[in-house]
Amino acid sequence: MAELVREIMIDATPETIWPFLTEPGKHIEWDGTVAEIDPRPGGVYRVLVAGQHQSAGEYVEVDPMRKVVFTFGWEQEGHPIPPGSTTVEITLQPEGDKTRVRLVHRGLPDDAVEDHGAGWAHYLQRLAVRVGGDDPGPDIGPGAGD
Amino acid sequence: MWGRELPATDIADHFAEVTRSAISQHLGVLKAAGLVIERRDGTRRLYRADRAQMKKLRKSLDDYWTTGLERLRDVAEAAQREKEKR
Repeated sequence: MAELVREIMIDATPETIWPFLTEPGKHIEWDGTVAEIDPRPGGVYRVLVAGQHQSAGEYVEVDPMRKVVFTFGWEQEGHPIPPGSTTVEITLQPEGDKTRVRLVHRGLPDDAVEDHGAGWAHYLQRLAVRVGGDDPGPDIGPGAGD
Repeated sequence: MWGRELPATDIADHFAEVTRSAISQHLGVLKAAGLVIERRDGTRRLYRADRAQMKKLRKSLDDYWTTGLERLRDVAEAAQREKEKR
């Protein structure tokens, strides 16, 4: 399984940035056209992107001004990243007057050529569990449960 | 499945606890999503991963989060400037 990491320096304090991650009205100023978010563990995360792509998941961890973790996927029939199948972690790290914002999206289908099937087997297994209606649990990568 | 085609039965052998019909169903989902390519050889169905599609999926996510964070920076920095004006 692969992860995607993105970082950006923002010339603002964590206190200024935090509401944009946790308040629906502010969230749509940067991500989504409709946001239904309830930032507490177990709370819903639903962000409609570009008016047509529904992303969905739920909050796992909410540490005010520091970190937010939620599960993530797309509610589209047959989409390879179904709701709840991946995890997004956003952390805010103050550096002087600025804040380093780091986003890590974990549990993505692996696109590594070197991976001879372990990633796939892992992914298929998660998919199998999901399609069966159960929760495959947090993704800790291939190898652990295969 | 990455480097070579595999029949569904071989793929199913990786999952002792999952039935073959369930595996076929899942492969159907991945096929519909464009992530695997199916080829028929007589009565057998062979599958391989579609790397180009996987790369496309990866790129669309890269773009989604990169654009998102840049927009977050823009709105947060504007909010910060507003705060400091007051």
